[in-house]
Amino acid sequence: MLTRLPIVVTLTLVAAPLAAQDPSERDLRDVVREQVREVVRDHTEVRGGPRAYQGRERGPEQTERFSRKVRLGRDGRFTIENIAGDITVTGGSGDEVSIEAVKRTRGDRSQLGTVQILVDERPGRVEVRTNHTGRNDRVAVDYTVTVPTSAGVDAKSVSGNVKITAVQGVVRAEAISGNITTASTPKLEAAKSVSGDVNLTDATADADLNASSVSGLIRARGLRARSLELGTVSGDVVLSDVACTRLAVRSVSGSVEYSGALAKTGRYDINSHSGTIRLALAGDVGFELSATSFSGSIRSELPMTLGPTSSRNDRRRPGPPGHSTHAVFGDGSAALVIRTFSGDIVITKR
Amino acid sequence: MHPSEEALTDYIDGALDAAARAEIERHLETCVACRRLVDDSREIKTVAASLDLREPPIRSWMRLERAIKLEARPAGRGAAFWDAARLGWARPQLAWLAAAAVILVATAVGFKLLPRGARPSAPAAGTQANAPIVSDAASADAAAQSVEAELRQAEDHYEKAIKGLEQIANAEQDVFDPRTAATLQKNLAVIDQAISESRAALRAEPANEPAQQSLLESFKAKMALLQDTVALINEMRKGNEAGAARIVSGLKQKGD
Repeated sequence: MLTRLPIVVTLTLVAAPLAAQDPSERDLRDVVREQVREVVRDHTEVRGGPRAYQGRERGPEQTERFSRKVRLGRDGRFTIENIAGDITVTGGSGDEVSIEAVKRTRGDRSQLGTVQILVDERPGRVEVRTNHTGRNDRVAVDYTVTVPTSAGVDAKSVSGNVKITAVQGVVRAEAISGNITTASTPKLEAAKSVSGDVNLTDATADADLNASSVSGLIRARGLRARSLELGTVSGDVVLSDVACTRLAVRSVSGSVEYSGALAKTGRYDINSHSGTIRLALAGDVGFELSATSFSGSIRSELPMTLGPTSSRNDRRRPGPPGHSTHAVFGDGSAALVIRTFSGDIVITKR
Repeated sequence: MHPSEEALTDYIDGALDAAARAEIERHLETCVACRRLVDDSREIKTVAASLDLREPPIRSWMRLERAIKLEARPAGRGAAFWDAARLGWARPQLAWLAAAAVILVATAVGFKLLPRGARPSAPAAGTQANAPIVSDAASADAAAQSVEAELRQAEDHYEKAIKGLEQIANAEQDVFDPRTAATLQKNLAVIDQAISESRAALRAEPANEPAQQSLLESFKAKMALLQDTVALINEMRKGNEAGAARIVSGLKQKGD
């Protein structure tokens, strides 16, 4: 596996510029590149997403437990930073932070002692950091933390998943190569990963939410926010039953799916270079559509009134690739601005 | 103990008194992380300074102002891991980067927010039917040339800034574990392909609006990813996290 992977990665890196040189061969190369991407994923991620510590090193697993309770106060702020290993934070009763950690290694047991868990207490604030003092240690630390439910949480991980549940204060979760999962976090403000997925469920807040992943999937379900800004390069974005008055989605090669109702007077701005954008709209909120694509098609199964500036070359109906469509559905109260370069735009009724 | 980011920023800007400057310099003699941070920041400052200052067209200001208001985030929120560099401009060591990006955004917005009537590919609704045809054609021609010129200028600005950021990002890739570095490289290649496709489309149809927008969006995506990468590099270096990549890499190899 280790010998195959560099070859696959090299193929991927070579394939992109080659494809860029000849647009006429793009379709075939897209297929090849997608296949290569899948192979890379198969070889670099375990089921359930990337994890820092797979526990398959030779030798028995050595562990060391850490346990501590610290008073934070109900409206305090909890910060945790980890390099390798998962972070799980759950809101609970009381005004204390309960920190349970397990250091793990399959190397020499002495390595466990070179990793320190530092807890810094200040009024209204508790900070936890993982300090690796030795060189080349192979230690991961998994944290399970309970915080007062109304506290705020900042969680940062280099390699490891971050999961935050039932925290009522402001939440920010960030990882480089781990998945981010949040649920029941009404003041979720940011969720970001470089190569991991971002999963957001059941958050309701009159706030602005920013979520991004460079290559991972962004999935949001049952989310309510004043404004939602989502960004990815090659990952897909899947939104279902999301309610917000301002949505901005940016993707380069990933596809975007939006399923649910629009807000009256809401503004939805979705842009993907080569990914398909699909909207499955529920409810009867009207909207004004401005859709443009260079070579993708624009299709809608909703009856719309076409505006005066439809189409790049004044073609007056959705369908053929390479044009703009300005159209109104119903009372036109929401604004949909959809743009692709080569991806298709599809609007259906849910 | 490391100097605060504000102190380092003031040091780079030459805004400290002699005693404070000497204290920072003593620290830099022994702290590799802070020294690299200062070096990186100076490089970013140089790149930002090399950009020409461009005023967006006057006609863009009202819409620009509205866009800024829409984008404005409530004050007092903590700076994100890498968010500040790209969105909030709250991380002092990347203030110059932010300045560079503001110039770029102003350029791009100035282009993007041209009134539709001024754009060559989408004649404005309600154009006077009885207007002189020659005048219309000349006006459309002038507008088309103006838009294409602005696009070229925006492209030039993006390319300059991207080149500087790429130099930093490429030189500092070693702070990431191999998988993360590969992910970033792979996604930069995805964006490069998007830029290449947009350019090819514009060569065939210079006035094509979706292709123009796509080119600018692709540049913005590349800027954002490079800014995030540089911010991540700084973050990894800060607080003795330079070894994080090595640790993560070691764990993954063991796990593979």
